[in-house]
Amino acid sequence: MDVYCSNNVLQARRAVEQLRLETELQRIKISAAAEQLVQYCQEHRRADPLLTGIAASSNPFKDKKTCVLL
Amino acid sequence: MKKEAEALKTQIEAARKAACDTDMASAASGVAPAPRVQLKTRRTLKGHLAKIYAMHWSTDNKLMVSASQDGKLLIWDSHSGNKVNAVPLKSSWVMTCAYAPSGNLVASGGLDNMCTVYNLKTPVIKTVKELDAHTGYLSCARFLSDTEILTSSGDTTCALWDLETGKQKTVFLNHVGDCMCLALSPDMNSFVSGACDSLAKLWDIRDGQCKQTFQGHTSDINAISFYPSGNAIITGSDDCTCKMYDLRADQEVIGYQDAALNSGVTSLALSVSGRLVFAGYDDFNCNIWDSLKGEKVGVLSGHDNRVSCTGVPVDGMCVCTGSWDSFLKIWN
Repeated sequence: MDVYCSNNVLQARRAVEQLRLETELQRIKISAAAEQLVQYCQEHRRADPLLTGIAASSNPFKDKKTCVLL
Repeated sequence: MKKEAEALKTQIEAARKAACDTDMASAASGVAPAPRVQLKTRRTLKGHLAKIYAMHWSTDNKLMVSASQDGKLLIWDSHSGNKVNAVPLKSSWVMTCAYAPSGNLVASGGLDNMCTVYNLKTPVIKTVKELDAHTGYLSCARFLSDTEILTSSGDTTCALWDLETGKQKTVFLNHVGDCMCLALSPDMNSFVSGACDSLAKLWDIRDGQCKQTFQGHTSDINAISFYPSGNAIITGSDDCTCKMYDLRADQEVIGYQDAALNSGVTSLALSVSGRLVFAGYDDFNCNIWDSLKGEKVGVLSGHDNRVSCTGVPVDGMCVCTGSWDSFLKIWN
């Protein structure tokens, strides 16, 4: 009974300490944060093969055509 | 203490609300929509005899490791489709696998509560360490290097291990539910974990502290990933939705959901620019989401059972899906 109670107290204490820590966080506005995420996507979009598509000649996973000996 | 906790929570919510001046979809309204993404299956990797639970790409963009409850890890050459190695597991109840960035080591773990590390470069594949200290199942493992590995566990903790001593260097304590997944930040200084308490947490690897907590999901978080810029994370949950949380705004900025979807998200992976989110679901499909606009832009259909794992290699040239149907598929 005692161990159970003290475990709960310990957990509650930890939760409060964690909340205290998180209250101190400096937050930026979503508009500023979102702008940076959008900018990152846009800057890297040409280097994203799944977005731009891959030419058959440079696709390592493209099925190689089998040679037919006539 | 309860009163103090409630007061602090209210304070945090107020601070988040003050920062909430828009949402991602509005911020991205000027961005051209992502093209309809239609990917073809380029390879179907057959070889496992039971459900596949996990896969991880090597940093060489060619090799990958998969884990199945048939009791094996298979190393594949994704270009040829051939199996390069098979590692028999002591315990077949595997839930995760990982490839070290060097390509020298792989790791696995599951209901045995241990993380086992194997050396692929010795003439015969050898077990180099059995990391035994978690008191719950191993849900995820990720190498930082050949000397350090991070694990998440059903015992609600995550841990950083020293592979030379086989001991835990740091234990990350704060979740109150089983930890189901973890993801390393691009700069390797922090990681995020998702748990059955429906929370995602950001941790500092070196000081062991939980820095931020992200709420919003209403069920277990099964999958988590960093946005490539390192400033946001994406989570996938049993509540059938995925969410993006921005680390600096400390809150959800967009959700990926559809009223027609009523299957849990099991896994997720991002394309290299972060624009596309590949999310695997219990309904056998992998849906492709536009991360900025929150719209579904494609589907990968082809598996005959739950998609349990997804992965995009470092060069972003394809996406791999693994399923309970025992197959892995490579798409681009």
